[in-house]
Amino acid sequence: MTPSQSAEDADLAGDSGRRLAGEDLTELLAIVRRVVGARVGSLPIAEDLVQETLTRVLAAAPSVDPGLLEPYAIVTAKNLVASMWRDDDRKRRNQHRAADLRAPESPEAQALIDEERSAMASALGRLDEHERALLIEHELRGTDTRTIAEEEGTTPGAVAARLSRSRARLRVEYVLGLDSGDPPTDRCRPVLLALSSADRRRQRELDAATHLFNCDFCGRLSEPLLARGQRQDGVLRIPIAADPDIVKARGSVRELAGRLGFSRTDLTVLATAVSELCRNIVRFAGSGELLVELLEEPRPGVRVTARDRGPGIADLEAALRDGVSTYGGLGLGLPGVRRLMDEFAITSEPGAGTTVTITIWGKDPTT
Amino acid sequence: MNSGPALVSILRQGSTLIASIHTALDDSELVRFRTDLVGQIGEHRCRGVIIDVAALDVIDSFAALTLRTIAEMARLRGARTVIVGIQPEVAFTMVRLGMGTGGIPTALDLEEGLALLTGGADGDRRRS
Repeated sequence: MTPSQSAEDADLAGDSGRRLAGEDLTELLAIVRRVVGARVGSLPIAEDLVQETLTRVLAAAPSVDPGLLEPYAIVTAKNLVASMWRDDDRKRRNQHRAADLRAPESPEAQALIDEERSAMASALGRLDEHERALLIEHELRGTDTRTIAEEEGTTPGAVAARLSRSRARLRVEYVLGLDSGDPPTDRCRPVLLALSSADRRRQRELDAATHLFNCDFCGRLSEPLLARGQRQDGVLRIPIAADPDIVKARGSVRELAGRLGFSRTDLTVLATAVSELCRNIVRFAGSGELLVELLEEPRPGVRVTARDRGPGIADLEAALRDGVSTYGGLGLGLPGVRRLMDEFAITSEPGAGTTVTITIWGKDPTT
Repeated sequence: MNSGPALVSILRQGSTLIASIHTALDDSELVRFRTDLVGQIGEHRCRGVIIDVAALDVIDSFAALTLRTIAEMARLRGARTVIVGIQPEVAFTMVRLGMGTGGIPTALDLEEGLALLTGGADGDRRRS
């Protein structure tokens, strides 16, 4: 910005001796317009540049020889135009640096944070004092289990177990707090706790799976709790709602059972049984779910529970008899599944749905 | 005949239709397969149909029923049906489940199936 620099210098150094006459100014204005116009054309910025040039020339006028005022104005105009282009160009080149790639903070973010904070606070409030102190000591202050164990005179293992129980309870209270609703039944909280701590024995005692399927509240809340531990558990939930789901479920069950080292024959038998159960769900109830569990005791096995909340089966005995079909099939669905599987159990309540549980055990090669 | 990557291909060889199922089919796909196949029997004036089910890892009651229906429909349209390529595990399961392919002739593989159809009486004897 040499012109501006020199103009200011001139202003500082200049005395207020000479003034420009009106006609000189008009003449200068015309010249400057021409110079700027030749370079910038009729862009809206042109008039700004003209005015800027005149301001500077006027400021510098006292220290410039009146005869040189015209060339001074021309040079000033040229310099201003040039520096404008240069600035524009620099801006263009560096524009990408100005881009802020972080997503703008959404207005609800703060509300969400507040909500989470209050849910966490109420969850912490519901823990008993001992659990709370332990969690804070370990999670916030970072004290390791060994130090805590030494202080309390127990073993690190016991502390870790207590920590994991406390965390499980905290998770349950947290999702309950977020939902800000009270569980509809007395069973909800223990079931959620059993799910949260991934305690499969306790889940079985409480028949958590049935409760989850029947209680919408727990079904919803359990999602984040189950999402944590599903992988290591060897438990798979497969929603069934349409024909393609049958083929998919068949494949998933086969894949899961394949991990137990089942023979190809057993895998096919299992997949076929699953196929029949899924078809019943799609045909009669519209939708439902499969729960696949890997069993370890007494032998490796797979248990599949097919649940729906459909119309139920009015006459179970007839449904289990060969050759009775309600949709023009072979009538082999349920009786066939019963023949295929090692264990078979069915409960059905008209109007409330049907649950079929099948189990297949790995075959001991010596028997 | 189908949209998307072919789940099933139906080829004509002489007066025989060879239908190969390439992947596990769900119920609605099985029904579409049945419709397509029975339609093509008339179109190509076929005397024989071979259904290759080697790629089916599961033949449950509905799949078995569909195969039986196809065979019966084909018979009514003047074509004989042979099912080939039933996997050993699938065969085991079908027997345990208590379903068969009814009276549909079967053969080990495509070659045997063709021989069965072209061999006529000879093939029939081999089947029994």
